[in-house]
Amino acid sequence: MTITEQPAAATEQRDLSWLDAVTMTELERDPYPVYERLRREAPLAFVPVLGSYVASTAEVCRSIATSPDFEAVITPAGGRTFGHPAIIGVNGDVHADLRSMVEPALQPVEVDRWIDDLVRPIARGFLEQFEDDGHAELVAQYCEPVSVRALGDLLGLKDVSSDQLRDWFHKLNRSFTNAAMDENGEFAHPEGFAEGDAAKAEIRSIVDPLIDRWIVEPDDSAISHWLHDGMPPGRTRDREYIYPTIYVYLLGAMQEPGHGMASTLVGLFSRPEQMEEVVDDPTLIPRAISEGMRWTSPIWSATARISTTPVTVAGVDLPAGTPVILSYGSANHDTGLYEAPTAYDLHRPPLPHLAFGAGNHACAGIYFANHVMRIGLEELFESIPNLERDTREGVEFWGWGFRGPTTLHVTWEV
Amino acid sequence: MAHTVTVGDRRVECAPDQSLLDAFLRAGVWMPNSCNQGTCGTCKLRVLDGEVDHRGSPADTLPDEERQAGMALACQASPRCDTVVSSPTASGAVRGTHALRDLVATVLDVEDVARDTRRLLLGLDEPLAFSAGQYVELVVPGSGVRRQYSLANTPEEDKVLELHVRRVPGGVASDAWLFGSVAVGDRVELTGPLGDFHLPDAADDEGEPMACIAGGTGLAPFLGIVRTALQRRPDREIVLYHGVRGAEDLYDVDRLTELAAASPGFRFVPVLSDQPAPSCRAGFPTDAFVEDVPSARGWSGWLCGPPAMVEAGVKAFKRRRMAPRQVHREKFTPADALDTGAAGA
Ligand code: HEM
Ligand code: FES
Repeated sequence: MTITEQPAAATEQRDLSWLDAVTMTELERDPYPVYERLRREAPLAFVPVLGSYVASTAEVCRSIATSPDFEAVITPAGGRTFGHPAIIGVNGDVHADLRSMVEPALQPVEVDRWIDDLVRPIARGFLEQFEDDGHAELVAQYCEPVSVRALGDLLGLKDVSSDQLRDWFHKLNRSFTNAAMDENGEFAHPEGFAEGDAAKAEIRSIVDPLIDRWIVEPDDSAISHWLHDGMPPGRTRDREYIYPTIYVYLLGAMQEPGHGMASTLVGLFSRPEQMEEVVDDPTLIPRAISEGMRWTSPIWSATARISTTPVTVAGVDLPAGTPVILSYGSANHDTGLYEAPTAYDLHRPPLPHLAFGAGNHACAGIYFANHVMRIGLEELFESIPNLERDTREGVEFWGWGFRGPTTLHVTWEV
Repeated sequence: MAHTVTVGDRRVECAPDQSLLDAFLRAGVWMPNSCNQGTCGTCKLRVLDGEVDHRGSPADTLPDEERQAGMALACQASPRCDTVVSSPTASGAVRGTHALRDLVATVLDVEDVARDTRRLLLGLDEPLAFSAGQYVELVVPGSGVRRQYSLANTPEEDKVLELHVRRVPGGVASDAWLFGSVAVGDRVELTGPLGDFHLPDAADDEGEPMACIAGGTGLAPFLGIVRTALQRRPDREIVLYHGVRGAEDLYDVDRLTELAAASPGFRFVPVLSDQPAPSCRAGFPTDAFVEDVPSARGWSGWLCGPPAMVEAGVKAFKRRRMAPRQVHREKFTPADALDTGAAGA
């Protein structure tokens, strides 16, 4: 069956041998040039260094993510990092059970009940540590700490320090995106999984005793609910069953609101008049964040689907069982949808973007994440309305699987 | 025939040529509003059911895509049939409001107080309820033209309204009327109170320090705001900068200096931009604020004057770390404020 109409010949004739030279380092540093060419020449293409097909346009990403002929699969490096059954890589009853496990705490009505009381004091607390210094590196001092503390407290990891949580997601990130494959379909850098393994061992040494306690003494933390909700009295979900999804949280859900805030700030700094508008009118913050996530999508290219039947997509015939990586960060720069997509523009027509994915595996934390980012930026601008980027320091983005600025130096008059 | 317009559990009658905002305010239903001329967007609401005529809504404030999405400017739109709206910013806490009214007043006094500047006193037949800082619209006799003037009164001064007018050469309201034909004893039509540039109700007033910057006759609302704030808390920290071109443009200096002498927390600082004088600060009032106030964290800020001054004021306040949601600015541009020379860079 055909998902996207396009004459097969058009792509088959194209010479895609330039893709052989693409390296992981190049993609991590700046994936946009490669993907721009992919969107133009082959919106669905096999990328040798990834050992996988990649979808790069909005249309192809969306149609695969919502197609009945595809289901979820975790990327090889992702599977090596998280183990099975991670929520992003399972289907059918197991996926339904894991969604039913994570969703109650993330429902809008539920989130509305406590989000402000949870996040605002956290944001204030971090601001108090530097708001009178006149300079800060916002990624490490604010965006990441607010992001991990909010989710850490929600999950029941109150006693795990923010720096510890940040260290874990950085290590899991590098392991999850250690995606390079050799010509035999083996990991090109197996040693790259060592730090993720070490992080997981540390996580288990800290979370196992908490789980022991929650099994006998349930409380209101999310992980305690994951253990107990929907289970017959006296029984809990097996910890080996929930750990892969705990890792999904300790990586993506911990990291991405921080990425989203930082990217939005960098975008706004690129348009000083828009920054000023947003600072002056905090009701524009949600729109600014939405454009920030389109501009630099935090989960740039981390999830995948696999065909369940022979299928033709964008003129390419795929046999059953072909995995395709969804590069949402590229889809959000699709010139078919967005004019001058590489520019941050608060006022561009507000089209829906794909930063949270699509289909039945779309992000479960959208509402929560948006509010964490909103409150984070509200408190930042309230406390430091005269924020300026420190132009002595550059801003570098890093990442192909997950992407955001590595640092963001700012100054202000105190 | 009037149509019914509903917001939440309130229902009001609105004539086909009446703005939704006018209808709500007259019925005592509060709705955010600032400029009442379609330019600020504060009054934007969503039409849930029914239909409105957008009338004078400018495309800048209400672009087509927003119209198609059902948005409307309450201060411009009129109902075409029975209509239901929701006001995103009005939802939540119910706030006190003063019903909008049409009144007739008598000119009690016209006084020249400074170069091209007059004080007008209007006696009302019945008292008008308003909050310190709000404005009224006067109908220029014979022309139907309306002009907006801030009230210099405190809410207790509800029988005699004090307005400050600056002459705009050739201006139909100021030049021809208030600096021309107006005479004591004239009857004047007016509508009010309007605007969101005002002190909060006493119960919601946190007593935070206040930075006020006025340009030209933008001083008027501060006479109401500052005096009301000091009545509530006599030791409140308030600094008021009045920016004008030269000493000849200053007025009410004694009145404010006396108030400062009686109020330990209040400072009044006239600032001359073009024609320096020995006893006065020179420059722009917004720069004077930045020089004088090292930190405005936790303060509220108040700006009324020419657009460039207001813009410079917002920047100055942020530079001194005032939270943007604490910055209040009068959003209508007094026709007569365009020419006071009080603008910052
Ligand atoms: C700005 C922050 C975030 C972004 C940009 C983001 C984005 C995404 C994306 C793109 C996916 C994959 C969707 C797909 O494959 O189609 C995803 C999955 C997921 N996200 Fe998020 N996410 C964010 C924050 C969060 C947070 C804070 C949580 C939890 C509190 C969360 C929970 C999840 C879960 C559980 C999944 C897996 C859903 C499934 O496979 O069924 N996310 N997210
Ligand atoms: S646009 Fe209606 S009050 Fe300003």
